[in-house]
Amino acid sequence: MKLRRWLFALPALLMVALFVVVPYLNIVLMSFRTPSATAIYGPGFTIQNYARVLTDSLYLGLLKDTLLYALATTSICLLIGFPVAFHLARTDSRWRGLLYAGVLSPLLTGVVIRCFGWIVLLANNGLINQLLGLGGLGPYRLMYNPVGVTIALVHVFLPFMILPVMNSIQSVDPRLGEAARTLGASGLRSFVRVLLPLSMPGIQSGVILVFVLSASAYIIPMLLGGGQVSTMPTVVVQQLMGSLLWPFGATLALVLSLTALALVALFGALTKRAMRRVA
Amino acid sequence: MKRFPTALLCFIGAVYAFLLLPIAIVIPMSLNAGEYLTFPPQGLSLRWYVSFLNSEQFTSAFVRSVGVALVVAVLSSAIATPAALFYVRHLRSGREKFRLTMLAPMLLPEVLTSIALLFFFNQLFFGTGTLAPLVIGHVVITIPFVFLTVTSALYNMPAGVEEAARTMGAGAWTAFRRITLPLVKPGIVTGAMLAFIMSFDNVNISLLLKPLGTSTLPIQLFDYLRYDFDPTAAAVSTISLTLTLSVVFLIDRIYGLRAVRF
Repeated sequence: MKLRRWLFALPALLMVALFVVVPYLNIVLMSFRTPSATAIYGPGFTIQNYARVLTDSLYLGLLKDTLLYALATTSICLLIGFPVAFHLARTDSRWRGLLYAGVLSPLLTGVVIRCFGWIVLLANNGLINQLLGLGGLGPYRLMYNPVGVTIALVHVFLPFMILPVMNSIQSVDPRLGEAARTLGASGLRSFVRVLLPLSMPGIQSGVILVFVLSASAYIIPMLLGGGQVSTMPTVVVQQLMGSLLWPFGATLALVLSLTALALVALFGALTKRAMRRVA
Repeated sequence: MKRFPTALLCFIGAVYAFLLLPIAIVIPMSLNAGEYLTFPPQGLSLRWYVSFLNSEQFTSAFVRSVGVALVVAVLSSAIATPAALFYVRHLRSGREKFRLTMLAPMLLPEVLTSIALLFFFNQLFFGTGTLAPLVIGHVVITIPFVFLTVTSALYNMPAGVEEAARTMGAGAWTAFRRITLPLVKPGIVTGAMLAFIMSFDNVNISLLLKPLGTSTLPIQLFDYLRYDFDPTAAAVSTISLTLTLSVVFLIDRIYGLRAVRF
């Protein structure tokens, strides 16, 4: 009887085991294989790929750049996303449903289309430069550089910050903030000591989501960077598709993912301590 | 009493504009009669839609994308729904482990999953000569979304209705078919629609797993935008946007967008 019930979960478990677990183990294995000029990989195993990534200043620089993009994107998303999340959680406006859809719809719109929208806006002859031109300014170079890439990264991943933070703020009783104010705390103090710590779980998941997603973004740096901006994912895909350097590509991808994971774990540990202190 | 300071409301308005403007902008662009992406548009015209319809590459990619997304939506909900039922109704121990396993594809970076699958299919299977690896990749990454929506539908079911049916003599299967299924159907449909959208818009998985020489709509658009900005891209974007947003609208009608959580 019990066994028959497991049959329900079997297809899903098989899918995840066969097409997630096994391929991920395989990619780890691949990163230790020897490169070969004639086949996908040569015989035997080596740590040479890792040694190359971790000693070559080119790849270390790429890793640093990628993580800086992710860090900038995450910080900006948190700064501009928090007020929106707060408003969405607390408003009783009749437009609330529409506002929610406004946050959710970008998430459900293809990333290529959103990049295209930014190209239309930011190009040298794009909307923003044309408007600035009317005032006798510009044209400024707004894309094919780190600025354009960062703007698009923030745009694409902002909903991933707003939604979890909103959920978190919703579960905070508004009267707690009012109580703090009544007891004499300033607005800022009530925010820092009451709302911020209590919405920490949402901030935590938002930060982790945005950081991981923007560190592994490929399409955005490709389109808004226009070949002028290289990040780890763009180089990895290049290695895999163009030059078919699979073992090395696997190593690059894993080093990036593991570094991002380590930073996320560090962030988790730090915020956990901060949360305990205020609790 | 005013709940929000005006300055805050202005800031929030600006953020909404930032969120929506880049998406909305493609619509007037696609209707522009002019040759380049100029703004304001130089008169209305449907010429870029004609140009889309005349492009074999774009139309075949569109048809392929819709087909793949439909197959993915059906497979993904067929696979994830029973798992959600099992998780909510029967699983007693190791629940968190099971949940994490189901959500794993959503939590792992898509690009990494895509690379892992590329290696996997080429080394251990038949390579990426057909659409099968791409469909499998899409199904894997959409399973968590169906799992989440069905799970939340099951939790929101009124307590005890199933037992009530059983007490009044319905068999297990009848109770499931007549009581449980209709009640969780909105969850399943929402999940399937999400899976459709995710698959239809997917780039990361499709880019590496597509068969050589064919492409899906987002990939075709991506390749196109790397070299060319003519408003055909705007027409394609608008069509794809319309499709996606009508599905979002349907979800909202059927179940309410609040059900869509991440």
